[in-house]
Order: sequence, then C-alpha cells, then structure tokens
Amino acid sequence: MLQRSGTGFGALALQAMLAREAAGQTKAPPLPGKAKRVIFLFMHGGPSTVDLFDPKPLLTRDTGKPFPLEVPRITSSKSKNLLLKSPWSCQQHGQSGAQVCDLLPNIAAIADDLCFVKSMHCSNSRHGGALLELHTGSDTFTRPAMGSWINYGLGSENENLPGFITINPSGSHGGAGAWSSAFLPAKYSGTRIGGNSGEMKVPFIDNPLHDRAKQRKELDLLASFNQEHLVQRGANSELESRIASYELAFKMQMEVPGVQDISKEPAHVKKLYGADVDPTKSFGEQCLMARRFSEAGVRFVQVTHRYWDSHGNLKKEHEKLSAEMDKPVAGLISDLKQRGLLDETLVLWGGEFGRTPTAQGNDGRDHNPHGFTMFMAGGGIKPGTVYGSTDDYGYYAKDKPVHFHDLHATILHLMGIDHEEFTYRYAGRDFRLTDVEGKVVNGVIA
Amino acid sequence: MVFRRIIGCLGMVGGFLMGAEGYWAFAPVQNPDLPAVQNTGWAREELDRFILAGIAKKDSLPTKSAGKRTLVRRAYLDLHGLPPSTEQITAFLQDKRHDAWERLIEELLESPRYGERWGRHWLDVARYADTNGMDEDIAHPSAWRYRDYVIASFNQDKPFDQFIIEQLAGDLLPAKDLAEKRAQIVGLGFLSVGPKMLACDDPDKMRRDIVDEQMDTMGRAFMGMTIGCARCHDHKIDPITIEDYYGLAGIFMSTKTLTKYSVVAEFHEHNLTEESDEKRWQEVKRLEDVHKKKETPEEEKERLGKEIAALKKDLPAQFKVMGVTEDPTQNVKVHLRGDYLTLGAEVARGVPSAWTHGKKIAMPEKQSGRLELARWITSTENPLTSRVIVNRLWRWHFGRGIVPTPDNFGGLGEPPTHPELLDHLARKFVESGWSVKAMHRLMMNSATYRQSAQADLALLEYDPENKLFARWQRRRVEAEVIRDSILLKSKRLDATMGGSMLVVQPSKYVDRGRLQSHSLVPRRTVYLPVYRSSGYDGQKAFDTADPAVSDGNRRSSTVAGQALYLMNSELMHESSRALAEVVISTLGSESARDRTAWLIEHLLGREATEKEVLQGEKFVSDYGDPKDAWAAFARVLFSSNEFLYVE
Repeated sequence: MLQRSGTGFGALALQAMLAREAAGQTKAPPLPGKAKRVIFLFMHGGPSTVDLFDPKPLLTRDTGKPFPLEVPRITSSKSKNLLLKSPWSCQQHGQSGAQVCDLLPNIAAIADDLCFVKSMHCSNSRHGGALLELHTGSDTFTRPAMGSWINYGLGSENENLPGFITINPSGSHGGAGAWSSAFLPAKYSGTRIGGNSGEMKVPFIDNPLHDRAKQRKELDLLASFNQEHLVQRGANSELESRIASYELAFKMQMEVPGVQDISKEPAHVKKLYGADVDPTKSFGEQCLMARRFSEAGVRFVQVTHRYWDSHGNLKKEHEKLSAEMDKPVAGLISDLKQRGLLDETLVLWGGEFGRTPTAQGNDGRDHNPHGFTMFMAGGGIKPGTVYGSTDDYGYYAKDKPVHFHDLHATILHLMGIDHEEFTYRYAGRDFRLTDVEGKVVNGVIA
Repeated sequence: MVFRRIIGCLGMVGGFLMGAEGYWAFAPVQNPDLPAVQNTGWAREELDRFILAGIAKKDSLPTKSAGKRTLVRRAYLDLHGLPPSTEQITAFLQDKRHDAWERLIEELLESPRYGERWGRHWLDVARYADTNGMDEDIAHPSAWRYRDYVIASFNQDKPFDQFIIEQLAGDLLPAKDLAEKRAQIVGLGFLSVGPKMLACDDPDKMRRDIVDEQMDTMGRAFMGMTIGCARCHDHKIDPITIEDYYGLAGIFMSTKTLTKYSVVAEFHEHNLTEESDEKRWQEVKRLEDVHKKKETPEEEKERLGKEIAALKKDLPAQFKVMGVTEDPTQNVKVHLRGDYLTLGAEVARGVPSAWTHGKKIAMPEKQSGRLELARWITSTENPLTSRVIVNRLWRWHFGRGIVPTPDNFGGLGEPPTHPELLDHLARKFVESGWSVKAMHRLMMNSATYRQSAQADLALLEYDPENKLFARWQRRRVEAEVIRDSILLKSKRLDATMGGSMLVVQPSKYVDRGRLQSHSLVPRRTVYLPVYRSSGYDGQKAFDTADPAVSDGNRRSSTVAGQALYLMNSELMHESSRALAEVVISTLGSESARDRTAWLIEHLLGREATEKEVLQGEKFVSDYGDPKDAWAAFARVLFSSNEFLYVE
C-alpha cells in the first residue's frame, strides 16, 4: 500500500514502486496458469440458450403440453408452464458435433474452438440477483467483482492502463455493483467505458484544453511546488507517491486513447468483427476495442450486449440480437487465435441466466436460472468440448451441473489461482470470490 | 455444508470461542486513574496524560505544538470540511487572548457548516444512499430528510443516546406535537435506507435478508459487533449464538420496512402531513382522479382543473418520509444453517443474553421491542455503545481509532492501543449527557491534537502508523473536502442547506443520466444525491465510502485516477476559470506579482515565498492568454500537496 510511512527512498525506486502499486503490482500466480487475461462477453437479459445451443426433441414433440416435471418453487412470473418448441433449429457443427442454432452461423463455424457448458445454473431468478451472482458470487451482499478479484490477485500487466475495464455496462440490475471492488482497495475497481449516458471513454482521460505542451508546463510547476513542499517536510512516501501519480496519469492520458482507438485497424480486421456495417457495427467495435485493451495488458475486459430479456416477442428479438452478436463474437475469437493470443486469453460468453422451455404468452420465455448454456474459448480450456447437460426439456441442469461458484473457481484456476486459498480479510473475516462454495470443473480444462 | 460455512466465517483465525466475560469490550466501563506523568506541563486536558504515559513508556517524547497558522487550517478542515479564508486566518493569528483556540473551536461548532461535515461522517456509518442500488435501483425520494436530520442533529448537538433511539425506534416515542413527532420519526431512515434485493421472487427470503442487513448495520454502527455470522451458526468469535440472532430477528421481523415484499417491492413511508393539509391533499387526489377519467366532460374537466389549482394554492407539500413501522409481533424460529425452509425451535424476541450478561430485557407483547432494544443499547449497563461512539469521534479527528477497527470491537477487530483512555473518554461522554460537541472540545483542546506533523525522524521510523499519537498524522483530505474546497475557493460554492435534487416518484427508478448534471451543481457534496448503482467517478477515485456498507474507517489511497480527476475534470476547469475571473476582475489594478502572491495565500493559507512568486509570475507570463494563465496557475495550486493535505 502507498500509506507505507517511512523516511523516503530514492526517486527511481519510488517511480518504480508507484508505477507498480498504482496499477496493482504484477504478481506471479501461485499455480501454473494458462490464462493471463479474461474477456467476458456478457449477454445481459438472459439469452434463450435452450433455443441457441440446447435443442430438445421432446420439447419439439410436446409443444403446447404442460411441462411434465416439477416446476421450481420460485419463478419470476406466473405461468401455465406449457412447453414451447423452438422457433428455430440447431445443427451439429465441427468435430465435437456441438449443437448451434441457425441464427449463429459464425459461432457455429468456430465450434471446435469452443467449450460449451450446457449445465450452468445459478441461485436467483431475477436479473439483478443473478447478474450480481455471476459478477461477484453473491446475490445478497455487496462483494467485489470477479474482475477486481483477478486484478487483486495478479496485478496489472500494463501500468499505464487500468487493469479492469467494462465496456458499455448496464447501469441497472446491479449497476456499479457488477464492477465494484467493494471491500478490496479502490484501485481494483472496474473502469467503466460508456454505458448509460457516459461517453465511450475512461473518465477524465481527456484534457479539456487539448494542449499537451501547456498541460506539461502546469505539471512541471506543480512538481516544483510539490518538491519544495516535500523538502520542507522531509522524505515522506505518501507525498512522494502523489507527486509521481501525476506523471503516471499523464502517461495514461497519452496511452489510453491510442489503445482504445480502433480507427486505424485495417479494413479486413474491422470486417472480421462486423465493425464496418450494421447490425454488427456497434457490438463489433466494442469487441474490437476489447481485443485492443486485452492485447495491451488489461487483465479483465468485459463487453456487454443487451437486452436478451424476451418475455414476449422472442422470435423477432432473438433474431435481431443474434444478428448483432454472432459475427463480433466469432470475429473476436478468430482474431485472438490468428494473433496467437487465444491460448493466454480466456473468452467467456453468457448471460445471467437462460430462459425456460415453457412459454410466456405464445412467443416468449421466462427467466431460467436452473439450466442454461455458457461457452468459453482459449485460456487453457479444452476446445471442441460439450460439457454437462440439461433434462429432456432443457429446464434443469442435470448431468454435471456447474454453478456460478464453480465457474468462478474454474476461471481462477485457469489463471493460476487456487480459489480456496485466495482470500481478503475484511471486517474480521476472510472473504473469497467463491464464498464457501465452488469446485473447479476439471472436465473443461485442457 | 454447515462446517464449511463456519470455516468461511472464521477465516484463518484460530477457533477460540469468545465468552462475553473477560473480553475487554464487554467489561464495564472503568474509571481509570489519571496516569502519573513527568512532563505535567505538556498536558492541556486529562486525556493527554494517557497519551503521554504511552509515549513515555517507549522513552519517546510528544511532538511540539503546531503553529497557529497550521492549527487554524486544521480546525476549519476538521470541523467544517472547508479551508479558512485569509481573513479568518488573520483573525485567529491576531487573537492574542489566552483562550483564542477554545474560542475558535466554539465558533466553528456554532456554524451550520459543522453539521454538514460531521453529519457526513455519520452518513458513512449509516450507509446512506438516495437510491437502493443492488438489483433494482429505485429511488429513495424522501431519504434526504434523514440526511438533513443527521446534519441537524449534529448541529443541535442532540444527545447521542437520543439520536440512537430515534434511529431505531423514533416512531415509538411519545411526542407532544406533530413537529416533535416528525423530528423523531425521520431518524428511522437509518433502518430503511440499506441496500436490498427488491426483485427477489421469494418474499420470505427478501424479508429475512432485509432484517439481516438491518441487524448487522445496527450492530456495527452502535456497538462495533458483527451479528450476521450467527444467522447460520453460533458466532465462533463474538458472543452471539444462533438463538440470540433469531431472538433479535424477531424484533425486526415484527417491524415492517416495505409495504409489500413482492416484486418490485415498495418502501414504507410515514405520512406526517398536517391534518388539515392532508384533508386537502386527499381532496386534490380525488378530484385529480375524476379529472383523469376519459368519461369526464371537457367543461367539467376545466372546472375541476381550476378547483384543483385553487385547492393546491398555498397548500404545503405533504410530509412523507421513508421509515420502518410496526407490524404484528412475531417470534421467529431458528433457521438451521440460515435456511428458513428448515426451521428449529422458536426463540422469544429479545436482546442477546450474552450482551446483557444474562439479564432478560422484557419485550412488550404488542410492540416489536425496538424501543426496548434501543433503550438497552443506550443504557449505562451496555459498555459497548459509548466506547464505540467516542472511538468513532477520535478516529475522525485523528485519522486512527484508539480501537483501530472502529466498526469491529469483536474478537476479529484489533484491541485498543489505549484502553484506559477509551474508558476515560466513554465515561466523560456519558457524563456530558452524550454530547458530541463536548467530545470535540475535549479532543481538539488537547495537547495531543495540537501536535505538529513535523515529528522527530526517530519517532517516524519507530511508529510509522502513529499508534502512540505522538504527532499529528498528516493526511489527505476526503473526497468531499476536495470538491467543496475547490468550489469555495473559486467563490462558486452555493451554501444552500438541505432538500433534494432528485426528481423522481416514490418507488420509481432513478435516471442515472442525471448524475453528471447533479455533480455540476455547486452545492456541498453532502447534498448531491447518492446513487448506489453508480457513484460520481471523481468522488469514488478519492475513496468515498461504498454506500452499500456501513463504514466508519474510510481508506485513503493514492492512485493515478485521482490525478486525472484533478487534471481534467469539469469541476477543476470550471473552478479554475472562475477563480481566474476573480483574479483579473477584482485585482485588476494590482501587479502580476501581487496577484500571484494573493492567489498563493488565498489557496494555501500562508504568505507566498519569494521563490514561489517568481516562479508563478514567470509561469503566468509565459503561458499565453492571461485568463487561461491564471486558471492554469490556480489548477497547479489546487492540485498541490499543500492544498490536499491537512497538517
């Protein structure tokens, strides 16, 4: 911590210390980790994975009939629990024969790079609760986001960039809770870029005067005044750290906009992400930006795509959303692979829950936290894998269920961190991302 | 599973079971003798002798007193969260009376700026927010009344025991009139403003989670006790069993926070509108309903419109305030492993017996028992509360508590460095009638408080954390102080007190798009709405407390994001331009040299040195356009360590 009091040390050593500590020191992971970085493609609202990745012949056969198994004690809406067959169909793809919906041809084409976990489940049937549980491990209390935990554990790879960036996040359903460091030091908090009314920028990264030479003059005078102040007081690490923090900020100010700027990416790369044309342009640009941040050393980058909450109008909404999302996601994964970055970058795709195989109205599905699909790529996972399954109708995780806690344990494991040993002491307790739960899912690890 | 959860709560600390007997925090408050000390001339207050004895034990010496200029700035920043003006500094320097310092403290305590500063400290503990955050970020449209109540309570020096009782049971106190009723009930915001999962599909779980949050916050805020662990199992460190937990929970389960516990839930509000006004409001509502109806003929609508307008003329707004209320009393069964679906034996409502040394606190049959609980918390039989509160005050004055973990006096907190001093102060506090201002006077008038930060090198090395309190701990001012100071010094600060900037309906979502516009309103930061789902980027960078958890011990970090805020934020640029305007228009006839010197003294509270003036003058003349140049120079001074630290 920078509060370390003492009696000073050389300016060079100080610069080095500040650079490391301000951004979070790079720490060697205690276990050999494959993944160095995470890119989380968050599908806010809950995509209907029973339609997208988990086709069920019995659901097609029994459409319109009551769901024959017991319905959960708690559901988000009142429903007659009548089964609704998928309006689309899935085909098997690649060596693994993974099922992918016709709405997602680009993802289907890279099926052998992916590991589908079809037995995901979580504890909360509401967006806010499930979203917070996915991001922080708790649907009840304010806890650090997984991006904060990972930065706390591993530190930054690039001292001039934030270690945890969330692009276009949702302000609702948890809002800042999904990227907050909670009781971890504030430097591990996620930096929001865009979302709600915010500009697509790191806060305060632009100097309103747009005159670097003049700003440099200000900082030089400031350094001189601060130096004089310090000399009168004697060496003091906190004052020295603050002096150095302006230099670090000045460097960030120069580096961040460049990393974020996708305009100079070649046309074929933009095309790969669909960042050139609608309807993929917006999400494609964000995925491309995510790659640039990740490549530059940002540990945890999240991109949010919304809003998959199709209680009604499922057909139209999911077709639109799939068309926006498919190409950017496949483009990102292919791009990382081409660049040789996929091995050390864990890509995670998924929503806060899936949707029920039963109908709401005649063209909608309710929230389903009991069984849904997420997929991963790179970062030490076993490519071309289909792991776990749901029941015959796609309602409940049945074979090898994977809870969000297990997902967190697995992500940490892939990054070289033992989730049971990885704690932070706060208010008299040692906290973990996985609380007292979580099992590493060995079946998805290469 | 049970076992694993227990391990989780225990963390890495060994599993020693803590009984209430013999544990320092539960022992009765002592009346310690004043330590005998050699250097009797140094002490200004009795408390100094405890500090001095600790220092002497380490063969060390206290640090000399800070100069008057340093002290006056320290006092203003500490009590008002705002730096003094050049005139205020001069007035103090020229006051040669022997009690000039005491007079200054008195004057500062009289100002309403004091409550804004110290109320904010308490709002950290009360995890105050104007929106719910968590899953559904709906507004708390009347929570500001609680915030204003806290500020007013500090300004009035409301006895702290009364302050506590009102926050837990203000609705159950007798009141002689409506004004008193209102004043007492607003405090209940303390229980209501916590973060809640409002879209929980399971109403039972929702209610129990809310109760758990309330109990935990109450425990930490007033007694430094963590209670939450006992929801699932007997607390392994602190004396609270699972039965104790559910006895206490019965009190809160007999209390209603929401009007419905189904999705999306709504907060209970007390309506304390004047009776005659309320009648008129009801009539307005009735007419408005008719007015809204499709089938109402146009001319009738017109007439109604006029009638409504006439009724509303001079009609004061309804007085509504969020706060808990009574519900039919119930006892709760123990939830095995914290799961309400597997219930054990029923526990009678009550105060944990370990806290009361086994004494039963009688619970009323027809009331929740909140009042009895609040009375016990503030009773002299409870040694915790007075210790916890004086320790909080000490922490906010000195930057470090006598108990270094002000929110945790339990077995996993840290023990006091000066246990006798803590008891001495707790006793004085109770004797003063729980007067917070009396404690400010004691602490600030002490020689301990008046020490300089310029300490002996050996002391700095020996005691880097200042556990001995043998010097002033130089520290960065808090996020609010930075913003307010910049606004004040650029003559932009709008000193309007109270009220709300939120524009929302009860139980409706807030518009986060307005956050930016809120932050541009040049009022004191304590009045900016607190959105749990997204705070102000600049404020968060400077370590504001997370409004979702009770926090009486803010951390203070140094990160590049703070520098970015000071370099590039709208606050900084607007303010520096405003100050440049002042320099140019009001000091138009002065020389550049005099203007430079004026600005330095205005912002740093001391005369400029020759070197600084030369540097500043050169900077300004080299920079370009004079207005830009003075703004740039102001930014340099606003960003300087001297401006940002209190010594």
